[in-house]
Amino acid sequence: MKSSRSLALVSLFAALMAVLGLIPKIDLPLGVPITLQTLGVMLAGCMLGPKRGLQAIVLFLGAVALGLPLLSGGRGGFGVFLAPSAGYLIGMPFGAFVTGWVMSRLPGAAPQHIAVNAFIASSLGGLLTVHAFGVAGLVKLASLTWTQAFFGTLVFVPGDLIKCALCAMVVHTVARGVPDWHFGGRALK
Amino acid sequence: MGSLYSDHITWLHRVPAAFKLFCFAVLGTAQFLMGSPTALVLSALACSLLFVSLGRAIYPARKLVLSIVLASLLIVAFHAFMQQPSLGVVSALRLLSASLLGIALTLTTRSRDLLDVFERLLSPLQRLGIRTERLALQLAMMLRFTEHFFVVWKRLDDAHRIRTGKAGGLRILAPLTIQMLVCARRAADTLELRLGE
Repeated sequence: MKSSRSLALVSLFAALMAVLGLIPKIDLPLGVPITLQTLGVMLAGCMLGPKRGLQAIVLFLGAVALGLPLLSGGRGGFGVFLAPSAGYLIGMPFGAFVTGWVMSRLPGAAPQHIAVNAFIASSLGGLLTVHAFGVAGLVKLASLTWTQAFFGTLVFVPGDLIKCALCAMVVHTVARGVPDWHFGGRALK
Repeated sequence: MGSLYSDHITWLHRVPAAFKLFCFAVLGTAQFLMGSPTALVLSALACSLLFVSLGRAIYPARKLVLSIVLASLLIVAFHAFMQQPSLGVVSALRLLSASLLGIALTLTTRSRDLLDVFERLLSPLQRLGIRTERLALQLAMMLRFTEHFFVVWKRLDDAHRIRTGKAGGLRILAPLTIQMLVCARRAADTLELRLGE
């Protein structure tokens, strides 16, 4: 992939993360708000592949660390990496990497297959990986036990499964609308 | 985020971007290091006073602030439900303070000024062989794309409203992504001409 194209796409998906942080939250029936930024992690991995997906999220988190208020609710600054939810933030680049890696390994070229692949990849990367880091962060920074942290994070799983489905729908539409797109970074050398 | 910048000039507009960013980063970090509810209440009050002191400049962020207040209340309610109300109050106060500081920075600082600060901050990395001009360019493009996302989102939402009478919501996420991908390709072609790679 040409350097300029890589640069533009990495910036684009970092921007998408910022935009998703400003979209109003979705409230689950039990009243827990969920933000859409993990959807950005899933989309970055599916659309850009492991390396550039990771770069996009690192760029976004770098801008947050420098003080830009880009996280949901207008948060920013290095302090967010010391909060109990820091594990989820640290897990985001790894989530994008795993999503992209799985996406690049799954077979299938038809839009329907690509959408199913995106659902599987984002479940493993954007959901499982990010939550694994999130649980570790809750244990380390919020002094919860592993069991408490595990059950605490389960509350967000239904919302994240909806995001996986949304990601698959977006990928399906892109697969039909931009047929020459190489999902998971395949053929983008 | 550039869309939130307020042209109504306040005292905070006159403070240099680097100083604001430094102060807000330190204050934001301090929020997460403080554990005492009293200190956090005082801090939240101070942040609220700073925010309100911006006067009419805060108008563009009214809805955002309302959503943060609602989120804070939900956090308190959730923790009360989990039998940890004090933890909920502490988390909500931190969210409120950090968010108000972040929004105040966004309302009173042009993205171009922030980028100048970033370029200066990143410049020591050049000694390690890191091409900081590329990083600065990526940050600049990220901010530009963020603004453009809102423009395209608004256009698609308006079109959806005209067709159906309802807001587009998440239904326009897919067409938005496609339009932005095409836009990024165009930007990449322009960059290629400029950078030659």
